Amino acid sequence: MTTPRHPNFLASKLAQEMRLALVVLAVLALVPVAVSSPYWLGVLIVSMYFAMLSMGWNLLAGYTGQFSLAPAAFAMLGGYTTALLAWHWKVPLWIGLPMALVVPGLIGLVLGRIVLRLSGPYVALTTLSFAEIVRLVIYNSIDFTRGDQGLNVPALIDSRVGNYYLFVGALTVITVGVFLLLRAPTGRFLLAIRDDEIGAASRGIDVVRAKTVAFFISCAICGIAGGLYGTFAQLVSPELGLIAQTGIVIAMVVIGGMGTLVGPLIGAVLVYVASELLRDAGNVQMIVFALLVIVFARFFREGLWGLARQAIARRRSATRTAASGV
Amino acid sequence: MALLEIRAVAKRFGGLRAVDGVDVDVAEGELLGLIGPNGSGKTTLLNVLSGHMVADAGQVRLDGRSVLGLGPTALTRLGVLRMFQLTRVFNRVSAFDNLIVCGLALGLDQGRAEQRALDLLGELKLTHVMHLDGGQLSGGQKKLLEFGTCFMVPPRIALLDEPFAAVHPTMKETMATFIRRRSADGQTFILVSHDMPVVVELCPRAVCMNAGKVLADGPTQRVLNDAAVIEAYLGEDAQAAEAEHGRA
Repeated sequence: MTTPRHPNFLASKLAQEMRLALVVLAVLALVPVAVSSPYWLGVLIVSMYFAMLSMGWNLLAGYTGQFSLAPAAFAMLGGYTTALLAWHWKVPLWIGLPMALVVPGLIGLVLGRIVLRLSGPYVALTTLSFAEIVRLVIYNSIDFTRGDQGLNVPALIDSRVGNYYLFVGALTVITVGVFLLLRAPTGRFLLAIRDDEIGAASRGIDVVRAKTVAFFISCAICGIAGGLYGTFAQLVSPELGLIAQTGIVIAMVVIGGMGTLVGPLIGAVLVYVASELLRDAGNVQMIVFALLVIVFARFFREGLWGLARQAIARRRSATRTAASGV
Repeated sequence: MALLEIRAVAKRFGGLRAVDGVDVDVAEGELLGLIGPNGSGKTTLLNVLSGHMVADAGQVRLDGRSVLGLGPTALTRLGVLRMFQLTRVFNRVSAFDNLIVCGLALGLDQGRAEQRALDLLGELKLTHVMHLDGGQLSGGQKKLLEFGTCFMVPPRIALLDEPFAAVHPTMKETMATFIRRRSADGQTFILVSHDMPVVVELCPRAVCMNAGKVLADGPTQRVLNDAAVIEAYLGEDAQAAEAEHGRA
């Protein structure tokens, strides 16, 4: 049997998005060839940190329908896991960084179990409460975390270009990992749960298991992003977990394309670079992004990637018409 | 031994006895029509059988094994597949992928799931819309698609809740033909429907419920002629009018 093909079938959609994601990652990898400014490389490193958070959040909100408001809190947890291990117990980064993946993942697994029977606004409220509790605990545990002074983290790589490629590598691994997950049966189960949880359970999908897997992986991705960010900035502070940081992640995903593989990548890089270009305008930049989120959520549900895909489809259709001579 | 044994099943909502001590046996390969006026408890009974509600009392056995209290996922994996009155399809994935995800959930590998999905799409005359998202299909096409998802892996028993409601006659016939074929092959069904001509044609046996109780159980035509069933559907006035008409 030959597998039927159509651009709207999941396998084809994912393959197309993965190809574009690899192009975006390749362009990012080539940037240091043309850009030597440490400032702009730093901007792109932070945009890749946000891209990782966006990938993690999109897996949960865009693909599973679980609207968590805690991606920044899990990044903060990842950052603090590495930092606390190094600060208090001199644990080397080669152990501390993997722990930034495992610890937030396990906490996410527990949080996932707690919100398992909840949906919509209740998931958002519960995760928001969790995020604020964690941030305030870290902020107030001055003896252990040094509160708002933050904790110093040893650098993993000293050079700016080295750090840049570390982030490109990590982002590539995460993108490929999410692609493989979505292509596997579990990925399809997540989409079914997003569309209709009762319907999914009634077709034999283990909703509890699938949602738990999604929470674990999403929180682990955010955690390792936070851990890497800590080694780059050589500092973690409770500001990493501010709800405003989660707001930026949501804006990036909505503008790039929620529920798509490549949308969070495009959204994170464009929004963060644009915010740097608009830095002189002060808070106006946040107003611009907030307005863009409203426009995209209202009129372009699949974000910039959705618009690009429609344009590609129109072009293909026009090419076919021209080729048939009609 | 019956494939499905329902014994003294009861389900209350506050003061309302939605299902009140129902006893029904369904034999392997049987096509049972479950009928009754609106609010008689048919869908609630189906909800109990498919694990979407937990009965307050009674027992349900599948292949002799107690399945009362199991959730929808566990029951689906045991072969109890449910089609809902209000259509449930996955709106943001294609019709083809809707079927594949159901096959994968029941243990088919990708290749077999694709083959099975193509066969079903052909049989249900949905091949031309297989690339459209579930949410882009017409109401009738959604019904057909949901119907198809029940058969990605042949179920032990298919619970069909109003499959023909608001469906174009052509699609209704497609579904009826599918049911006839599968029934001839030994597939077991419980069919809830208000479409009496179809129930009469498809189902050799019918159970009529009213106010949560089984009113009549037997050959479909005999159940439909039962005085208590006529009264439940049409009310006492109709019977009195009929008696009056007879006297005249």
